[in-house]
Amino acid sequence: MPPHKPYAFVTYRSEESAQKAHVHLNGQHMECGENSVTLYLSFVNSVACQAEVCVSLPEGLVLVEDFVSAEEEALLLAAVDWSSTNDDVTAQKALKHRRVKHYGYEFRYDNNNVDKDKPLSAGLPKECMHILERCVRNGHIDIMPDQLTVNQYQSGQGIPPHVDTHSAFEDTILSLSLGAKAVMEFRHPDGRVVPVVLPERSLLVMKGESRYLWSHGITPRKFDMVPACDPQSPAVITSDLSYNSSLTLNKRGTRTSLTFRKIRHAPCCCAFPSACDSQGAPSAPLPSPPSPPSLPRCHADAARLEEEYVHRVYDAIASHFSSTRHSPWPRVCHFLSSLPPGSVLADVGCGNGKYLGINPKVIAVGCDRSSALVQICAERGYQAFVSDALSVPLRTATCDACISIAVIHHFSTQVRRLAAVRELVRLLKPGGRALIYVWALEQEYNQQKSKYLKDYDKEHAENHHIPTDSALEDIKEAGNHSCLGHVSEGNQVPDGKLSVHINRTAFNAQDLLVPWHLKEGKGKKGEKEAGEDGKKTCLAPDTVQDFSSGPQSEPESSPAAVFHRYYHVFQQGELEQLCGQVSGVKVQSSYHDQGNWCVMLEKD
Amino acid sequence: MKLLTHNMLTSHVKGVTKGYPLLIKATEVKVNEVEFNPEFVSRMIPKLEWSALVQAAEGLGHLHELPAELTPDYEKNEEFLKKAHRVLLEVEVIEGCLQCPESGREFPISRGIPNMLLNEDEV
Repeated sequence: MPPHKPYAFVTYRSEESAQKAHVHLNGQHMECGENSVTLYLSFVNSVACQAEVCVSLPEGLVLVEDFVSAEEEALLLAAVDWSSTNDDVTAQKALKHRRVKHYGYEFRYDNNNVDKDKPLSAGLPKECMHILERCVRNGHIDIMPDQLTVNQYQSGQGIPPHVDTHSAFEDTILSLSLGAKAVMEFRHPDGRVVPVVLPERSLLVMKGESRYLWSHGITPRKFDMVPACDPQSPAVITSDLSYNSSLTLNKRGTRTSLTFRKIRHAPCCCAFPSACDSQGAPSAPLPSPPSPPSLPRCHADAARLEEEYVHRVYDAIASHFSSTRHSPWPRVCHFLSSLPPGSVLADVGCGNGKYLGINPKVIAVGCDRSSALVQICAERGYQAFVSDALSVPLRTATCDACISIAVIHHFSTQVRRLAAVRELVRLLKPGGRALIYVWALEQEYNQQKSKYLKDYDKEHAENHHIPTDSALEDIKEAGNHSCLGHVSEGNQVPDGKLSVHINRTAFNAQDLLVPWHLKEGKGKKGEKEAGEDGKKTCLAPDTVQDFSSGPQSEPESSPAAVFHRYYHVFQQGELEQLCGQVSGVKVQSSYHDQGNWCVMLEKD
Repeated sequence: MKLLTHNMLTSHVKGVTKGYPLLIKATEVKVNEVEFNPEFVSRMIPKLEWSALVQAAEGLGHLHELPAELTPDYEKNEEFLKKAHRVLLEVEVIEGCLQCPESGREFPISRGIPNMLLNEDEV
């Protein structure tokens, strides 16, 4: 069974019925809305299931099903007037976020608190009153709530995990679910996660630990895993198959929640100070830390990583990037100029077309994954098309020469890097030559610092921004900053997470995210290239792409946009070794050039 | 996209064995003036699939007496080279698409740029 994929396991009463099912269902096509799937069935000897204890609800959490009738549900939904919402509706629509409306007091997402001195004039809708009286009568809450937040979630929307601010609201929080079922996940700081199904018309009561310490959130998705039939413990999902509970997928509909709370006027003095902003904790603590991306483990993950940290970035920074890419590297030019007139040259990953016009006597065509960059080639009068370097739409053995300059280091697995080299070789005619340049881990070579590093010193000397001592400290800090282990062939970081590189310092790991600071309009004059930087960054980037989503808060926009590009920087010998795995081609020369490892191949 | 480039492009849809040449469906074609360099054009000819070029030019209505077959001594035939130059380097497809002859899959051409990216399931 291929790893890292979801599987569903089905048990049949008899071997015969299992075989029948296999015959009839294996390979069947199914339509589900806009999606179509193919079923693949296989027999397995056993199911590796985690022996889990039956999970109970977090302490203080009570779920009351069928709290309101269908008629009451309809009346409550109709009572919410979305048209007069005082939030920025257009921004919400553009961001495809859930819709939110407040009554009684406005909840502020900038400080996760309530403006207690400015109650909203309207108060709570009258349609809610008898529902709240029922809550008090049934002992779910002692006091009438005076604040209501209505959240409306379309399928695919959610809310990040959060704890409702202690100082803003009293203990008990009531949440009524209307319109559709959804799964809410509760997370304890110790790592325990409890998924709870919230059926329509149910009331969720959060008190004590479930209100003050556990975070709650709804994962943005279109399907939830829920129990298939009425199990003993209706709300909690358990994966323990020995309890004979079975799971199925529930398609999300539009769910509206009405969350009723009582404003707290005195500081909170709960028994959970670690999560309490009245008792010293930061006002928006999260049980789980923010997560940067990890090294991919399969093609699909790799493609997704590259889409986010290579392709989207280049499309966004194309014109700025192009303006910093004006000086072709001499040794590449030498290679190009040495090609016989009339040679067919393919520049795979041509970027802004920098090399397409170097030798006007060759027939040059470029391709790049970024349509924005290919557009720039076209504007310059070069012939180029959009394609992926792993699958170039040129016939086999039709090129006299290929170049791949600063491209292959953007592939996030060794398998893909090898495939990129193979593709270059495929294009070559017998006797054809390919030139490959990739970023080197070792920026300093033969005691010569690369231009990338040299510019760091130069910039500091010129600008006196930071005295030399702290500049050295910054480089040392870069070493400590990373959570990676020693660097070796096929380096795998201990926890697989990618670290963010500090520009113009030595690389201390092979798989990195390199910041690019986007400048408005054209780039600065005389921008350095191997440096890959539009801005002098000497301190740890504090405007780093935000990997976390704050509780109840909208994503912040940083004043200067920072993009991160994924790189796998090559160790000495690594590129040669990679090319050595491709048959039918020989390494003719191998050298270090301005912070790059370079290889020239010739096809047999 | 010039016809020189079209001559090099092929369909790379998975499983396709006869993806060349791509059929051109053009909605906008431009003819530019490009400096004529007889040596350059002459060196280009042996690198081309001549019949595919003729087919493509004809399809666009820009054949202009380009011969269906190469004559010997074409290198010295300036008239021929000029015709070849025009078809290869001056005719440009600005909008339209390229169609795989086997699968029918269409690759759009927009602002003169073919987008040959395949979807995940086509690779």
